[in-house]
Amino acid sequence: MYRYDQIDRDIVADRCAEFRAQVARRLSGELSEDQFKPLRLMNGLYLQLHAYMLRIAIPYGSLNSAKLHRLAHVARTWDRGYGHFTTRTNLQLHWIRLKDAPDILDSLAEVGLHAIQTSGNTIRNITSDPYAGAVADEVDDPRVWTEALRQWSTVHPEFSYLPRKFKIAVTASARDRTAVRVYDIGLKLRRNRDGALGFGVLVGGGLGRTPILGQTIREHLPAQHLLSYVAAILRVYNRHGRRDNIHKARIKVLVQSLGAEEFGRQVEAEWRAMDHAAVDLPDDELARIRGAFGAPAFEARPARSAAFEAAKAADPAFARFARRNVVAHKQAGYALVNIALKTPGEVPGDCSADQMDAIAELAARFSFDEVRLTYAQNLVLPHVALDDVPAVHARLAEIGLATPNLDLASDIIACPGLDYCALANARAIPIAQQIAARFADPELAEDVGELKIKISGCINACGHHHVGHIGILGVDKRGEEFYQLTLGGEADGDAAGDRSRLGDLLGPALPYARVAEAVEAVVGAYRRARAPGERFVDTYARVGLQPFKEAVYADAHPA
Amino acid sequence: MKALTANRLDDGDVVFWCEGRWVRRFADAELFAESGPAEAAAALARAQPTVVVDPYLIDLEEADGVLVPVAFRERVRALGPTIHPDLGKQAEGGAVIRAMQAATGAARSAGRLGLIRKK
Repeated sequence: MYRYDQIDRDIVADRCAEFRAQVARRLSGELSEDQFKPLRLMNGLYLQLHAYMLRIAIPYGSLNSAKLHRLAHVARTWDRGYGHFTTRTNLQLHWIRLKDAPDILDSLAEVGLHAIQTSGNTIRNITSDPYAGAVADEVDDPRVWTEALRQWSTVHPEFSYLPRKFKIAVTASARDRTAVRVYDIGLKLRRNRDGALGFGVLVGGGLGRTPILGQTIREHLPAQHLLSYVAAILRVYNRHGRRDNIHKARIKVLVQSLGAEEFGRQVEAEWRAMDHAAVDLPDDELARIRGAFGAPAFEARPARSAAFEAAKAADPAFARFARRNVVAHKQAGYALVNIALKTPGEVPGDCSADQMDAIAELAARFSFDEVRLTYAQNLVLPHVALDDVPAVHARLAEIGLATPNLDLASDIIACPGLDYCALANARAIPIAQQIAARFADPELAEDVGELKIKISGCINACGHHHVGHIGILGVDKRGEEFYQLTLGGEADGDAAGDRSRLGDLLGPALPYARVAEAVEAVVGAYRRARAPGERFVDTYARVGLQPFKEAVYADAHPA
Repeated sequence: MKALTANRLDDGDVVFWCEGRWVRRFADAELFAESGPAEAAAALARAQPTVVVDPYLIDLEEADGVLVPVAFRERVRALGPTIHPDLGKQAEGGAVIRAMQAATGAARSAGRLGLIRKK
């Protein structure tokens, strides 16, 4: 895992000291709220419904036990003993006091954590594959390149005041675990026919009120030119982005208005005019970063673990967990263990301080001190010996996090919604809880199969509803909570190709009390219509909206 | 009827105006029957930028004989997250808390619209 060097530590320490002074000036009245707001946002501090919210960056979703223990400590000491992992692999604390924020940031800085660029019109926390370094199908470790981007983009003077926020995702596997097509820039690391490493460069993806899938502007960018090419994209965006209209300021609107081909042409022209050597990562620096991501000291183990197999045979609950949440590792005798923060009845993405401590202890003991975050608001122990998976499962069961529901109906993405968020129109979490309760039976959930339900409490789409197999969007209808359902969205891809698509609107919005039963009706229609082996989205693609409309609205009473 | 609300600057807590000071509980809030005194209070509140952030007036209606915020968003602010009855002011209980929890219907919140305008 990359560890901060002195430059990183100095940057974070300087920012902490600067923000401490800014908070003092705000509390004394020297700064007005209008002057202070952009400063606190640059440090991830929002004012929400009940208190301030601190959004802490987890670069490429990678944590070690020291960092996770510290997050637990912060949640316990300055918040209400829990945190919320987000679709952007950040952690949000929802009960922060402004006067405590400087001490919190100092505490986070001690372990190399911060909240820099988790808000504001700048390059936000960069996400990557949570399985990086652990799966056989990746062409290179994407964290090397993501870390290079992180260093380059941190307090970058040219790109600190972009027209709007800017999100980048990096993946290096055929199987997309980053939702790469819904990012402002999506980078797909791959090898060309000659074996040379390069990036497929996508631009202009995004959700929100104008959902658009990113389009490829460069099939193969030689990897060593990553930074200069991203800089060229940002320069074109900085020059032409719509600063006059917040709703049209994201790069996706610019790409759409120019057309991907013309946008790509302008990027190429900008890039060719640049001094690449002045921007691109020197080989020795790349090697230094790469050195931080060496393979753990795996032991030589047989591919088949007798202890793992015996536990499966003896314990049906473990067998189900192994089937759903445990994924093959590139190293023989090891596995990735997914920890779904989706226990039915609990809040999607929430994790108590005690659970964080317990997971940190598991990571230290069983996973070479590594924990990853996924955009589906789950955690991963990326390097667990198969022999140790039963012990990991037993401990997860003790802390209430052994639910075997990865990618099933109760593994729901939900934003904080109107329970916390000042921008929300409607609640998302209770809707998720009601739906999860209907699919809490593991037999039923497995029979339904892969079903990705994603809920957003407003059009800003933090819950990725546009790309949910079933998407749910909270809307304000005559001042009341209503919910639009979309079907058939997806943000996935694999070696067979990209399957990303935006969902289709099912019909009129439903009142709060009818959403869970409507989802159950949609699933019922799927189970009746599906062909053997078909996932929900496959059946939807084959039969279209009509059977689902009939299932939901057949006996609908006008609201 | 109206009440005046804001978030306290130093900790973000939801507060309500009561005769020149800020109180934490909606049950203790001053209720304005006339717009003149309400607007006058809002003007005084805006002159306290080191005490509160973005004060604004909210509409109230009667529910079971108790005046409560019309907007669901404002009831959530006055109560706490609906998913955590043990957190926020709702944990303190009381007749006004129960009335807000039982209230149905909703309206657009002046607070949210103000936030969007400023975004």
